[in-house]
Amino acid sequence: MATEVSVEIVAQIVESIFVTMMDLEVSASETPSLPVGDRLTSSVYLEGDWNGAVSLECNREQACQFAGRLLSMDPPATVDDDVRDALGELANMIGGNLKSSMDANARLSMPSVIVGGDYELRICGSEIRNRLAFRLDEGHFWVTVSAKDDEKSATPRQHSLTNTD
Amino acid sequence: MDILLVDDSRTMRLIVQRAIRQAGYRALTVSEAENGAQALEKLRDERPRLILSDWNMPEMSGLDFLKEVRAAQNDVPFGFITSEVSAPMKALAMSSGATFLICKPFTPEDLQVALTPILGGN
Repeated sequence: MATEVSVEIVAQIVESIFVTMMDLEVSASETPSLPVGDRLTSSVYLEGDWNGAVSLECNREQACQFAGRLLSMDPPATVDDDVRDALGELANMIGGNLKSSMDANARLSMPSVIVGGDYELRICGSEIRNRLAFRLDEGHFWVTVSAKDDEKSATPRQHSLTNTD
Repeated sequence: MDILLVDDSRTMRLIVQRAIRQAGYRALTVSEAENGAQALEKLRDERPRLILSDWNMPEMSGLDFLKEVRAAQNDVPFGFITSEVSAPMKALAMSSGATFLICKPFTPEDLQVALTPILGGN
């Protein structure tokens, strides 16, 4: 079974999660390039009717800000377990909501989090279908949907979102 | 203990604890477990008024945890707080003995709506 993934749905999911859980209004923007330098990538993987992954990428400062808002505390000064856990939970919510929107019979993995400055995440057997940039006052963060080659392509969006494929 | 909160994510446990307080239930005592197996250990000694559990957890899934609770003839109200809620999943949860499902992201008001019939007004 192949299931359509709509970029509009992905954008709605991300916007809903950020405003509900962190009181952060985010909006999709035209910023195709990924962050450079130190950053975090949190990912969840789906396996079943639909096979792919959802990743959230941001810089360290943003990750600490997200953790602070999620946990209602001052942002940690450095990336610690709370920050990694918070980023993983955000990816988990995005992936879980995406799975629900597709009504796919798929297993959602535990989130994984990468922290570093010189890496490229490659989901083996998958290709990037959509990379959405979201704008915040502090800068941008990115959400990427990857799917196995035999899954249907995402529906192209007619306006500001940019697919970097 | 009033509520047993089961989630492998410390972040989500803190968020749910905060939401419980924001929903007006500041006097309730909440005990935490990181997974279903650890929660079952706690249930040997304590009888909460409500269990709130994640669905997707290592060691033992939330659904398997629920089945274990019901297999032990424990009829404590059991709610899931999960990032994935589909119709088949909800049907499976309810047929296995769940009381409600709350989808993340959620607000304190969402939690209040689910808790009030079980814990009463705050």
